[in-house]
Amino acid sequence: MNPHDEHKEGIGGMANPRRYGIERVAYWLMRLTGLGLLGYFIAHIYETSNILRGRVGWEEFLDLTQTTEGHIFLTLVIGMCVFHTVNGIRVMLGHGGIGVGKPARPDYPYIPASQNTRHKIGIYSAIVLAAIAMVYGMAVMFGE
Amino acid sequence: MKIHYATALAAVGLVAVHILMRLTQGFAESLEYENVVANYQFLPYAGLLEIILILLSIHGFNGLRVILLELKQGRVYEKAVSYGCLAAMIALIAYGSRTIFMVNMGMT
Repeated sequence: MNPHDEHKEGIGGMANPRRYGIERVAYWLMRLTGLGLLGYFIAHIYETSNILRGRVGWEEFLDLTQTTEGHIFLTLVIGMCVFHTVNGIRVMLGHGGIGVGKPARPDYPYIPASQNTRHKIGIYSAIVLAAIAMVYGMAVMFGE
Repeated sequence: MKIHYATALAAVGLVAVHILMRLTQGFAESLEYENVVANYQFLPYAGLLEIILILLSIHGFNGLRVILLELKQGRVYEKAVSYGCLAAMIALIAYGSRTIFMVNMGMT
């Protein structure tokens, strides 16, 4: 047997979000929101530098972002930010040994102690809080 | 990971203050030219923005570095990713700081 067969799916197999439960979905969301927020941060630094072009330059650029599409984009950024923050705190607590359970002998069916209800609730809370923050953000931006 | 976590925790608190500044004034009003310039010229707030810029740049580009190192390994690749992210981080901090310093000193 080819020794590579059991790993033939490679990174794709490891990263499959449908196979390993909500923890793998959280893994993906954490990375995707992180990349999205980095992209937004770079764009935000560029956006704010338009203040150096004076009032006309600032208002010209603001007109591009203060649109319905701009507000929808900002709503997504709010959601990404809240999920990344709350899930990040969960990951930090887990790395610190909080909420991961006590070490025990691995018995069948070999469910890792760290993948427990507390952390699952943490992940679902991050998703729910992100959704609430997005609704609040939309109310603020579209309410004016 | 210590730097990653420390910058994250510090940034959460400071970004919350930054966002609250938008909400206390009214979102659209807070983005008016005079308000934004006044924010930059208020030294404690300009300092807050500079600290946020540094913290988020370190956190963001270190996160990108970790993601890229997870995908592929190798001596040359790892060095290229690490130095590339460091260079991008320094460039972003320099560009953002330029805006903060110039507006703070009234060079608009």
